[in-house]
Amino acid sequence: MTGVESVGAYAPAYRIDAETVADAWGQFQAAGISQTSVPDADEDALTMAYEAGTRALAAAGREGREVDGLFLGTTTPSVEEEALTPRLGSTLGLPADIETRQQTGSTRAGVDALAAALDAASNDGRGTAGTESVYLVVASDAPRGAPDDRIEHAGGAGATGLVIGPAGPGAVVDRAERVSPRPGTRFRQRGSAETTGLGITEYDRDAFRETVGAAAEALDVELGSDRSDVDAVAVQSPNGKLPYRAAGAIGVDTDAIRTGTTVHDLGDTGAASPLLGLASALADGNQNVVVIGFGSGAGATALLIDGEDVPVRTALNGDQELSYAEYLRIRGEITTGEPEGGGAYVSVPSWTRTIPQRHRLVAGRCEECGALGFPPSGACPRCGTLDEYDTVELPGTGTVQAVTEIGQGGAPPEFTEQQARSGPYVSAIVELDGPAADETEAASMPAQVITVGDDAVEIGDGVMATIRRIYTQEGVTRYGTKFRPSED
Amino acid sequence: MRDVYVIGAGQTPYGAFPERSYRDLFAEAYAEARDAVDRPVDPADVDEAVVGTLGVGGRQLGLPGPAVTEHVGLHGVPCSRIENACAAGGSAVRQGIQAIRSGHADVVLAGGFEAMTDASADATKYWLGVSGETEWERLTGTTFSGVYAQMASAYFDAYDTSADDLAHVAVKNHTNGSKNPKAHLDFECSLEDARDAPEVAAPLNLYHCCPTSDGAAVAFLAAGDVVDEYTDERVRIAGAGAASDHVGLAQRDSYTAIDASETAAETAYDRADVGPDDLDVAEVHDCFAIAELLAYEDLGFCDRGEAATLLREGVTDPDGELPVNTSGGLKSKGHPIGATGVGQVVELFEQLTGRAGDRQLDDPRLGLAHNVGGSGGAAVVHVFEQEGVVR
Repeated sequence: MTGVESVGAYAPAYRIDAETVADAWGQFQAAGISQTSVPDADEDALTMAYEAGTRALAAAGREGREVDGLFLGTTTPSVEEEALTPRLGSTLGLPADIETRQQTGSTRAGVDALAAALDAASNDGRGTAGTESVYLVVASDAPRGAPDDRIEHAGGAGATGLVIGPAGPGAVVDRAERVSPRPGTRFRQRGSAETTGLGITEYDRDAFRETVGAAAEALDVELGSDRSDVDAVAVQSPNGKLPYRAAGAIGVDTDAIRTGTTVHDLGDTGAASPLLGLASALADGNQNVVVIGFGSGAGATALLIDGEDVPVRTALNGDQELSYAEYLRIRGEITTGEPEGGGAYVSVPSWTRTIPQRHRLVAGRCEECGALGFPPSGACPRCGTLDEYDTVELPGTGTVQAVTEIGQGGAPPEFTEQQARSGPYVSAIVELDGPAADETEAASMPAQVITVGDDAVEIGDGVMATIRRIYTQEGVTRYGTKFRPSED
Repeated sequence: MRDVYVIGAGQTPYGAFPERSYRDLFAEAYAEARDAVDRPVDPADVDEAVVGTLGVGGRQLGLPGPAVTEHVGLHGVPCSRIENACAAGGSAVRQGIQAIRSGHADVVLAGGFEAMTDASADATKYWLGVSGETEWERLTGTTFSGVYAQMASAYFDAYDTSADDLAHVAVKNHTNGSKNPKAHLDFECSLEDARDAPEVAAPLNLYHCCPTSDGAAVAFLAAGDVVDEYTDERVRIAGAGAASDHVGLAQRDSYTAIDASETAAETAYDRADVGPDDLDVAEVHDCFAIAELLAYEDLGFCDRGEAATLLREGVTDPDGELPVNTSGGLKSKGHPIGATGVGQVVELFEQLTGRAGDRQLDDPRLGLAHNVGGSGGAAVVHVFEQEGVVR
């Protein structure tokens, strides 16, 4: 029977304190939030989805190639039109013959992506059960508002991934949805990057409480008349107060709400909010979790998940505090964007040709002498044979061989915006570990190494690969490999 | 094989001349070079012209060679442009030698130019990075300062050296350049200046980096059978070597040596039947201070890891055993990309013929020019021998 095989979660390393924002504006408008997580300049919904997705797959013991479907929910895709799932799937090593769905336009999108995956898992499209299929669901979001707007003050960032498959110990016990035509509590105009709302306190509260309550009420569960068997409620958390206002309507006490939300430490994580609450509750050893996604419009999707024995892998403990000026920089609020004068021109077709290398470090082994080549094109670096390479996937770990930190003014035009937003960056040559532990020869590649705070990168340091934005040219964002210091 | 001689060489001052055109710069270098030849080179005598330029700014990406030769009245001469990044000038000299040795030409103009200072800061950075490996290396956010900084990091890690050693390179080359009326940054700098300059790409600071410059240089080369028609001072190109390597640093075998320089030097020494110990003067490619240290080792002036010691002991000072970059080098004299390799020939021609003014060494006989493209994707080395005055 299909169930939840694993959960992975990720939040960026940076935080801004409510007090810091209050110092800048005279008040902090997001009640009940002590700090929010802030994406680095080269992070977005796709890169955070990679972080969460790769942790979920690892927790499930699954390889990307085993996945049959990828379901993504986000309100902040990097482009309003054009699917992110093909590139996200590529970074995670998912095959080409997968189903993909991208839910957006509502903070319900994350829970709705999970609901859609559950539908797919129980139905192969012809009305028959496809119980062997494996699905990866990822909710990833980083809501933004105008700098003085309560939605910006609340706005955090994070992502959760769930593997849904036949080996899942976690069970989705029940599911229900309710809608109510009440617009205006949260919306974003076409063409705008800033979400806002009318801020009609009682109206907003009623829309939330009644819709969420109705969906919870509709769950047909035998958990005791007072729902005393519910360990946590992971309900949409646009701020740190509203979820508690709905406790009565859901029929639980406020402890269950507190156990199921990350809003106090990460802020409003939009479409990722309920599933981050689930990940946090399961990581803390809870079992029965009611997950409720809510979106303005309004509508709610509720699920009851029995998460006993579900493996969870989280990386939610960022602690690099930002000043308000640093926050404005890293958000791009006070930087000038792409400079005039052009950048290194790598056409989209040229970039696309190298996607296996940029997304998954696909190297080559010389058919003649066995040397590793990266990228695997042109003559063999050792014997000079100009022939095909055998495809080899590298583990993504490596060692720094040469390193520089590009200071103010040293960046080429296509990287000046990154530097303006997140300061000096580290560019290195990384010797990539071979596919086997006893590999004696390695290939090297140039790459940025992500640093946080006072991190220093030195020759000999171990690093591991991740996915970040490399740069944006002609409106197309290029994603590729960067490294971060090894965790050990 | 036919002998090839430098019969005259001249250049513009290097500097920031945003109001001057590249053609105007080339014309001045052409006139200076003609003046440097004892007996006139008639335009009709020139059998071939080779012009090095990267084309910074994109002002004349196609046909920049004829664009400058027709401007100075060399109508009809076979002319081609050679592009080899910062080694374009040295490569033009090499092509000129080959034209003479093949018998196609008796007299060749080998020149180079670059106009760099009239572009915006962003456009300049764009053009500086285009000779690095574009699809991978550049997209880690590096221009050449970053790539040479990576080489410096590996060098410091391999040998007991530091940024302080780079500061000493800057001090020496600025001291030399302060005596060169053609130098772009013709001022002396103190060790403190060079130590405390703003960081560009750690561990490199501003004083570890050469400037971007405008300028042009021209050398006239002649076959041994016609050299006497033009001059009595015989500066022979005794050896020529060149090599190439991976354009991107990550692909190379070593980050603490430029293999192309080593190979090019070995070839040039072999052809000239000399060794590094025989040299009296050298112009090396010090686009960044670390590059001068690497050059000492790649060119065989000392063993691996010994360059900083060689420098600190004064061996490469003007009064040392092997003065290096008496012109000021790229660091002080300047680096108008396509002109640089030919400008090195100008300095050596002046040193070997006793025309180097305040920089003049005591009767040098054998000199070496070392010109590198990119971070080592191409290198060209020439050895020049002063054969004395023939009457």
